[in-house]
Amino acid sequence: MSFQIGLERRYERSWLRNAVTPLLSVFGAFVCGAIFLSVEGFNPLTVYKALFEVGFTTRFGLTDSLTVAVPLILTGLAAAVPFRMNLFNIGAEGQLYLGAIFGSWAGLTLADGMPTIIGVGIVLVAGAIGGALWALPAAVFKAYYGTSEIITTLMLTFVALFLMRYLIFGSMSLWRDKESANFPQGRKLPPSARFELWSDTRLHWGLIVALGIVVVVWVLLRFTSIGFNMNVVGSAPEAARYAGISVSRTIIIALLISGALGGLAGATEVAGRAYALDPNGLELGLGFTGIVVASLARYNPFAIVVVATFLGGLRSAGLALQGLPGERVPVEVSLMLQGAILLFAIGGEVFSTYRLSIERSSAEVTA
Amino acid sequence: MASPELPGLEKSSSPGQVAAIAADNVTKRFPGVLANDSVSFTVYPGEVHTILGENGAGKSTLAAMLCGLYQPDVGQISRNGVPVRLRSPREGLANGIGMVHQHFRLVDRFTVSENVILGDPDQPRLLRPSEIHERVAAIGDQFGLPVNPRAVIADLTVGERQRVEIVKMLYRGADVLLLDEPTAVLTPKEVEALFETVRTMTAQGKALVFISHKLREVMEVSDRVTVMRAGAVTGEIATADTSERHLAELMVGRPVETEVRRGVSTGAVALEAQGLTVIEGGQAVVDNATLIVRRGEIVGIAGVAGNGQRPLARALAGIVAPEEGSIEIHGTDVTGKGPLAARAEGLAFVPEDRLGTGLVPGLSITDNMILTRKRSFFVDRRTARAEAAQAIDEYEIKTPGTEATAGVLSGGNSQKVLIARELGSAGEDQVIILSSPTRGLDIGAAEFVRGLLHEARLRGAAILVISEDLDEVRSLSDQLVVLYRGGIALSGPTDDLALEDIGLAMAGAQNEKES
Amino acid sequence: MNNATIVLTLAAAVGAAVPIALAALGELLSEKAGVLNLGVEGMMLVGAVTAFQTGSSSGNLWLALFAGTLAGGLFSLIHAFLTITLRANQIVSGLALVIFGTGLSTFVGKSVEGKALDTDFTAIRWGVLADIPILGPVLFDQDPMVYTTIVLAVLIRLYLNRTSAGLAVRAVGESPATADSMGVSVSGVRYAHVVLGGLFAGMAGAYLVLGSVPAWSQGATTAGIGWIALALVVFASWKPLRVVLGAFLFGFSRRANFWLQGEGVDIPAEFLTMLPYLFTIAVLVIWGSRDMQRRAGAPAALGTSYVRDER
Repeated sequence: MSFQIGLERRYERSWLRNAVTPLLSVFGAFVCGAIFLSVEGFNPLTVYKALFEVGFTTRFGLTDSLTVAVPLILTGLAAAVPFRMNLFNIGAEGQLYLGAIFGSWAGLTLADGMPTIIGVGIVLVAGAIGGALWALPAAVFKAYYGTSEIITTLMLTFVALFLMRYLIFGSMSLWRDKESANFPQGRKLPPSARFELWSDTRLHWGLIVALGIVVVVWVLLRFTSIGFNMNVVGSAPEAARYAGISVSRTIIIALLISGALGGLAGATEVAGRAYALDPNGLELGLGFTGIVVASLARYNPFAIVVVATFLGGLRSAGLALQGLPGERVPVEVSLMLQGAILLFAIGGEVFSTYRLSIERSSAEVTA
Repeated sequence: MASPELPGLEKSSSPGQVAAIAADNVTKRFPGVLANDSVSFTVYPGEVHTILGENGAGKSTLAAMLCGLYQPDVGQISRNGVPVRLRSPREGLANGIGMVHQHFRLVDRFTVSENVILGDPDQPRLLRPSEIHERVAAIGDQFGLPVNPRAVIADLTVGERQRVEIVKMLYRGADVLLLDEPTAVLTPKEVEALFETVRTMTAQGKALVFISHKLREVMEVSDRVTVMRAGAVTGEIATADTSERHLAELMVGRPVETEVRRGVSTGAVALEAQGLTVIEGGQAVVDNATLIVRRGEIVGIAGVAGNGQRPLARALAGIVAPEEGSIEIHGTDVTGKGPLAARAEGLAFVPEDRLGTGLVPGLSITDNMILTRKRSFFVDRRTARAEAAQAIDEYEIKTPGTEATAGVLSGGNSQKVLIARELGSAGEDQVIILSSPTRGLDIGAAEFVRGLLHEARLRGAAILVISEDLDEVRSLSDQLVVLYRGGIALSGPTDDLALEDIGLAMAGAQNEKES
Repeated sequence: MNNATIVLTLAAAVGAAVPIALAALGELLSEKAGVLNLGVEGMMLVGAVTAFQTGSSSGNLWLALFAGTLAGGLFSLIHAFLTITLRANQIVSGLALVIFGTGLSTFVGKSVEGKALDTDFTAIRWGVLADIPILGPVLFDQDPMVYTTIVLAVLIRLYLNRTSAGLAVRAVGESPATADSMGVSVSGVRYAHVVLGGLFAGMAGAYLVLGSVPAWSQGATTAGIGWIALALVVFASWKPLRVVLGAFLFGFSRRANFWLQGEGVDIPAEFLTMLPYLFTIAVLVIWGSRDMQRRAGAPAALGTSYVRDER
């Protein structure tokens, strides 16, 4: 006689469990971070207090957090859409860069003289196209050859990274500000291609666009046939075939949407923050962080907004704290916390997906 | 229930010889079913003893206990006269007992030799390939199982892979081999080769246990047969003292318990399949099958699982395109046009794989209702929700609500949802195909489903039921067809077919009189 | 003139190849067992910072290397626990490891930011052989880690192809169900090989910080080598010796800029850095057909969790 502890898959959805697990993960991560901070000689409570104050209570802090959240919302969506289907597009980072490249090109060449709405619109649309194009190879290979999209999207990310760097640092391209010979910089977009700022903060209208996209994605997933098909293919491909749904087409559509979202993230950064193709300002791991956001938010579009704001706040507060007098809090704390939160969240996900079953059995049963 | 003593029972070995392996009044229970009820079984070195029975008879369970996959709840397993407790297949193998399953346990990318020695505790840390190859080849030659030790599994035919499985067991020192439905996947030529191998093995003192439902082969290769039905042994006899007919009777004969219902057909042909052939893995899993289902009648397809039921259903539903042959629904040709085309002509399909093919476990009941409907850009949940609510009411489905995910429903309830969706979608033009519609359902739910089908029949629908439950098929169908090895072995009005003939057809034996 | 530059470049390429090869070999072991670990970069950084701290406080090169290796292994246990025991998604877990590892190592490295170590791996000269033109300096005048890496690659090849334990690993990566049914402990094998991957990555990071770039500075240390290592495993079709050759190729492309400029070839530096990734994509495309994948592709069960009898 032996005891068998097994994991049984759960099918019922529990809102409570879905919400509590991430919260507990955050708590666990903060405890873990506290340990590291103490070991290095910092007072965790002071640090955390400072983080929250700077991140969320001051006017500049809050708006800065929201500003950083904008691309995170979009990359979060970019990860969530395919991940729900067990398609792992981890190239949002690269698709973001391509979106920035395409978006800034459109802004520099097409937007001058137009009304702002059209100008910015051109930038965003171009960005979405750029991102989608960058996801296309992975989509096609996966759908028709079964090649792992993980590897293809990851490889393309680095190609995109170096391409972007080349455009600004390695050449005198269209994107390059010709007058900045010593400190390479991107050429500034015309005013008509820039998001307006909200009063004297750094927050721009891109936030509204991002929130709008959240709603669009939510509607897409829940109310359209496209979203319905994606749910089916991700959950039970055989049932999809039986229902006449084309599995390969659905895969391609999902990955293209994902790429477009990543591209949009790049475009909003161009139109809202840097007003130029700015590799230094873009290489922040926003694409990878988006995956963290999506995972913590359990791939729910609205939860993504909350998580993106939270993580955005952590990040911007971390940066701001560096300049404050007093306790010299290292900016890496926020990065560490982010990683720790995700690790705890992944571990905690087990309890949402599986149920612990303890069986008294005398053998392993194979049907 | 003790096994009845049949006259003329003779052991094919000399008295005093010890059984290579024996089960002594073993009983095994699973939740809800008594799989083996006080079953006894012996096999001696040098003999072939077959366990014969339909699906659910308990043969796989018995075999599993003999090799160590399960342990008996009551009773004893003995090896060479000594009681043993086999806690895992590995322990079984350590005791010289090896089982070759229907689904092979082989790594496709590995070579034959690599598969043979995987997990072998007697191998040295640093392998000696040439020694291994030599030994594998030697065993192959010794037992008439020619194998190329360096061949990669992915390149081998099914018959060759089976040989590898057997060599694997022999290499590890198995003296008792259990073969689970070994001929199910073989061509007739390969079957002959297997039987040669069997004779070679027994000549060298191995004890062989066959698990099968195929009478002809059983008669050809076994020394003794134990027939099982509903978890108990109905007879144990030497093949020399019995006939196919006798065995068939032991296998299927029992009183019909369910109420017999018949319909009145209008005669109009609703579904017609001509010369249907489906190829899977190079073999014809559906072989020149011709079927006609008329409006207002139920045609039942009987047969032991694994004889082509699944490919046939999938071909008729349009999921798989047949290699040859045609399918017409209400006179319209839908061959190879896909499931949507078939649906458009009124086809409904309830697959045996409820969660996974029929229903999506992660979606709500409402969403599952939408699955097979035509969808425009926006998904219309309102209508579907109303339909779901109505179905829950009408079919008495136990569920928290229309938005509950299909995966939480019990087997019976998810089947009800599936049937509600399929039956509800069309009118008298319906052609409904169901695979194993009542498997796993409790008596009440099963009866409910049968009642539904009867009502649909009375409404004029044409229904095709593929089922392993012979009782059910016989009680419900107007016409009965027996499927064997992908082909139609027997067909005719249910009431005109004798039970023994059905049993023989299911087991692949040809009957003297034509049907 | 040109001769000297190309020789220097080739020799440097060998040195640059070491951490790439080490990290890739470790990842290869993990993936052969079916576990994808994207967290290589994070493990390397953890190994690097540990090695640096140990090196600067103890002054002992080999102790530092050992400590870094060990740190990488311990760090990888997180990934192992999450993905094997808790059946979490391997991709997300790996990425989390990178983020956490990057943050953690930079955080811990704060106290030694900008410092330099005065240790170095003295090269081993193989006497007369080192005087052979071109090949000599490249192959026979390198530090001991170069030779260690080559030896390790050979040993891994031997392990995977010629031992019964290696057979078990490959079986777990191809078909865990089959391995399980033959009595192999799937989770045991997976744990062991994920940790091995971590040890190798830690060693790679330690070597980087102790040998090539003997200083600690945030972000500059590993410079994406962890990601290149992931690409290399695919590029090398999961074969250890090809990993070494591919590492040399990738290392060369990283160092070739100088030489190319000297030759008058004006390829932008960024394109050279892109090459490893482009090569890998090319390999995927050329060898990508389903048929080829069957013969020389990824372990069939790579990336999946194994649950016995999951319905």
